[in-house]
Amino acid sequence: MSEILLKILIFTVIWGSIYLLISLGFSLICGVLRIFHLGYGVTFVLAAYGLWALMEDAKLGLGLSILLMIVVQIAFALIVFYKGVFERYLEEEEVLLTLTVLISLAVAHLANYLYPVTAGVSIPTTIIDDVVSIGYITISWQMILAALVGIVVTAIYCLWFLHTRIGLIIRALSQGLTAAMLMGVNVRRMYYLAMVLSILPPTICMLMIAPFWSVDPFMGAPLLMTAMLISILGGLGNLKGSIVASYLVGFIHAAVSFIFVSRFMGLAALIVTLIVMIWRRGGIFAGETLW
Amino acid sequence: MGKLVRIALLTIAVLLFSAISLPASQPTTTGPIKIGFMGNLSAPFSLSAKAAAMLAVEEINNAGGILGRKVELIVEDTKGEIPKCVEIYKKLVITDRVHAVIIAEKVEMGVAGMEIGAELFPEYPHIFFSTIGSGDDIWHHVRDNYKKYRFGFQTYYSTSTNYLKIVAGINSDIYKNLVKTDKVAIIYEDMEWTKPLRKGLPNVSPPLAGVYKERGLQVVNETTLSLDQKMFSPVFEAAAKAGAGVIDCAIGYIDQAAFVKQWATSSARNIPLMIWGGLAGMPAAWKATEGKVNGVMVGSSMIRVPITKKTIPFMDNLVNKYKIGPIFGSHTTYDTIFGFKKAIEKAGGTANIDKLISALENVEEEAVLGKIGWDKKYHFNLPYPKYVTPIVQWQKGEMKVIYPLEYKMADYASPADLRK
Repeated sequence: MSEILLKILIFTVIWGSIYLLISLGFSLICGVLRIFHLGYGVTFVLAAYGLWALMEDAKLGLGLSILLMIVVQIAFALIVFYKGVFERYLEEEEVLLTLTVLISLAVAHLANYLYPVTAGVSIPTTIIDDVVSIGYITISWQMILAALVGIVVTAIYCLWFLHTRIGLIIRALSQGLTAAMLMGVNVRRMYYLAMVLSILPPTICMLMIAPFWSVDPFMGAPLLMTAMLISILGGLGNLKGSIVASYLVGFIHAAVSFIFVSRFMGLAALIVTLIVMIWRRGGIFAGETLW
Repeated sequence: MGKLVRIALLTIAVLLFSAISLPASQPTTTGPIKIGFMGNLSAPFSLSAKAAAMLAVEEINNAGGILGRKVELIVEDTKGEIPKCVEIYKKLVITDRVHAVIIAEKVEMGVAGMEIGAELFPEYPHIFFSTIGSGDDIWHHVRDNYKKYRFGFQTYYSTSTNYLKIVAGINSDIYKNLVKTDKVAIIYEDMEWTKPLRKGLPNVSPPLAGVYKERGLQVVNETTLSLDQKMFSPVFEAAAKAGAGVIDCAIGYIDQAAFVKQWATSSARNIPLMIWGGLAGMPAAWKATEGKVNGVMVGSSMIRVPITKKTIPFMDNLVNKYKIGPIFGSHTTYDTIFGFKKAIEKAGGTANIDKLISALENVEEEAVLGKIGWDKKYHFNLPYPKYVTPIVQWQKGEMKVIYPLEYKMADYASPADLRK
């Protein structure tokens, strides 16, 4: 019994922290721009395939490729998503949603065309290629590091939002656009910043999880689903909610996997989310604010 | 009333025109032998199969064709959509008047094609081949209604019966004699093709676990994965805790890169994996898993081992001429066309469709992976040992055949030893 409890505890922390890293950017866009960003999965695909293209085709080193890939990510987020879609169609939700989905599909298909499965795409971002045994369990160091990075990135974001002036402005923006504008907030600049901030966690996430996750052109969709599930369960756009929901989903997945059968982990999390939504419309931390 | 009459007259005129303009329904008996190829031309397996079909046609034509007639290949893209598949199938059979249709993609497409093919067959006799879709759907149609579906043939490795009767036997042999263990953990993916393995086939075979027990193995753990699963640590923890000596993975469609990577860093990393098929059997698996696939055993037809004298030239020609590697579906498509050629020659041409079907039921032709031919009653291709899928083990960056012993390239080595 204690062995199962230990397994559940360890994997709740590890998976929960990884899910947090997956969903943080999505929550941020929901909280600040008030947009349900269905193109969010593109960030993961661009991170993986951008890095692969720079390393394999442009023959650049890992460090430089990562830096350039982040530049490409920022440019793509600002030019294609923000300027191309969000700014133009903010009031026409159906057009905005359709376009974001189409963009993500186009990117996935392009990646599939350029680098099909036979290309063997992978990202050499393993930091420690070893395992550690805790009691009866063996875990890869990379998984533990990914979890630690998830915790650290989230902590930095939270501290930044809570203790800096720009963080305060972004929170104000999330609480009331009109009021923030009346107080002289440069909304467009803050939106740019929010877009940039939203792509960093999924990019870092992709780099950290690639050694134990697969890289395929259509991976954006399941990762988007995870981010959506966590954001909905936690309360759309609320970072506190995302943190709680990530670990709750991590716990559900671990408990179902180790007590029952891993096949139902996804279904169990969906059922719990539905129950929470019925009991508390808007999620655990319902309320349209970032914090 | 006047309008209705006009519509009626117009309808009659259209029908009359159609009747006049429709060509005779018998397949052409002179001129080129036409083969329609359908696949999802965005997917690597269909692209590889297309190249294999082109290679087969090129080789046949260079050698004088079939009974002096050239072979013409008409390639169509289904884009992986069933309505498009049906539409193209009709076009190939009715407009292009092909003698055979090859569908080289997932079995759902094959079934859709076979259904529309059955409707067209009485008026437009033709042969249908499914060269990628696995499982039982195609041959069950033939078994359940031979008269209607007798034009359909399946060329894709194993059916459920053969999985349980043949593959399970091969695996048992490997576990007992090469891995030297009698404790097996079984992991299935939650798909239709694994259902007979999980549940058994009434009056035919017990489930896979039962077959292993009959063969002296002890099944210590069984679990099923969902297709969208990404976290596999719990299943490996369970297999390790159960004391498994080998993990038998009836998987082909789940996220194998993540599966293998997580196995290599789990409590079960020293327990060998036997994967039935999929990414792990492709040359790209080493790169895609950053070498974590080291030690994994997998059924793979992509290994350079001369099963027949056609094997290596096929692989080289495909790469040299069409710049694409052989992956699953390419061998079967290539072999199918040569089997079809032999059957036409046996039948003396394409004029009599029942004679041609009978020839296909009795044909045996040297193929890339052994001998190509189809079961007389059920129309699935002749299984092992006629048609061979070697079992390979990834050993330090290379796939090495470890079974069948006549094609052996290396001895089995434990994952722990290979990582040293």
